[in-house]
Amino acid sequence: MPIEPQVEPHDPDFVAIERASYRYGTDPATVDGVDWAIPRGAIHCLVGRSGSGKTTLLKLAAGLLLPDQGAVRIAGATLREPGSQIGFVFQQPTLLDWHSVTDNVLLPISLKQKVRPQHRKKAAELLELVSLSAFAQRHPSELSGGQQSRVAVARALIAEPAVLLLDEPFAALDALTREELQDDLLRLCALHRTTVLFVTHDIAEAVYLADRVAIMAAGRLHHELTIDLPRPRNREMRYGQAFNALCRELRQAMDCAS
Amino acid sequence: MIPRLSSALLLLALLAGWELYCRSSGVSSLIVPAPSAVLATLWSEVASGRLLPHLRITATEMTLGLALGCAIGLVTGIVLAEAEFLRRLLHPYIVASQVVPKLALGPLFIIWFGFGMTSTIVITALICFFPLMENTVTGLRQVDPARRELFRMLGASRLQTLLRLKLPSALPMIMAGLRVAVVLALVGAVVGEFIGGRAGLGASIIAAQSVMDSSLMFALFVVITLLGMLFYQAALWVERLMLRHHLKG
Repeated sequence: MPIEPQVEPHDPDFVAIERASYRYGTDPATVDGVDWAIPRGAIHCLVGRSGSGKTTLLKLAAGLLLPDQGAVRIAGATLREPGSQIGFVFQQPTLLDWHSVTDNVLLPISLKQKVRPQHRKKAAELLELVSLSAFAQRHPSELSGGQQSRVAVARALIAEPAVLLLDEPFAALDALTREELQDDLLRLCALHRTTVLFVTHDIAEAVYLADRVAIMAAGRLHHELTIDLPRPRNREMRYGQAFNALCRELRQAMDCAS
Repeated sequence: MIPRLSSALLLLALLAGWELYCRSSGVSSLIVPAPSAVLATLWSEVASGRLLPHLRITATEMTLGLALGCAIGLVTGIVLAEAEFLRRLLHPYIVASQVVPKLALGPLFIIWFGFGMTSTIVITALICFFPLMENTVTGLRQVDPARRELFRMLGASRLQTLLRLKLPSALPMIMAGLRVAVVLALVGAVVGEFIGGRAGLGASIIAAQSVMDSSLMFALFVVITLLGMLFYQAALWVERLMLRHHLKG
């Protein structure tokens, strides 16, 4: 059964991955005894190369896969299947071509209940926040890659999930669009203090978004780093000394881990 | 525009060559009638009102056979795609049933359903069933795994996933199956009439053959071709309408 979050405001283990392991068939473990905790409202990033097990760990956190060993808990309850308390943004926008942008954003609602005017109003608000109001009645194939990713983020947030999981959602976009989307994401998540686990291979993206970053290699977490840059984050920070020092430290940690 | 004009000019050139050949070579009109003779026969069949009832019967058989075959093909395709066990169990038998030439079953259908429309409709439906079923199974099984995972993540039921993800995703494939089925439906209707029809364009060809009226046979070929092209264009129009959002961008 999906669990309802019953949390204290500052629950330090709101999302708790406890000694989680997972292997596909008889292959070596893709996720190997990972321990990780995300406090409520925090944004954590996992950085790793392709094949390091990031996506598998994210699917464990989503309930799309169940760990062979260990457990994933959200608000203290063991996760056994995906539920409405978790939003997920995939590597590709995975929009439905035959629906308008608004209907795509409303998909999580329309699968559960009749769409009401307040839901449409909320979808319109989210689309305004990602600067897509003018495209509400368009179809996905009429949008650019960046716009499609914005719709995917808005769709993941329409049901106000307590936890948002993102699997390299901006990897296919150009650098400038990616920076804009990172700002959009931070703004949207701040609205409801959404707890975020973001997986990426881009060190600068991780440092810009996160409160805490870990390096993942060969199914394990290696180097954990608290990002003490002030919030709200802004583009100027990307060129600051502190930002670059953090990026350098993570880069060196990645080289050591692989 | 230019390709269409060239296409029409090519037709005119072929017809002119054919007419010239018939007039200059002295070939018997029983073997190859001149286009002018075919046109005259066609006009006389239309003007006398003899053609229309046959055309109506063949078009009705084609429509009913197509609708029946496509409906059964679509439902069977959905069932086989959704139930892996049934697919493994039944697919070899369905393929075997399609390998058997349907027209060879015609005499059996005449025993079961009698002469007339029913036998022809059943043959047509049997022919149209397969492309719809095969394309539906393929389309439903090729749905993007990430989108399937999205629906799982959103807690969609199996029926919701089928109706709101799989069928719309498979629609281009299903519509391609429909286009193939439309062409086959005409073959089924006409040839079905050869075997067990009392009326219709196919039965008219057999009647014309019995009196060695080659002009009438050619005139009927023209009508059958036009009927097929009309149905095919209608299928293309339906496809464009159904896939208007799939095709954008």
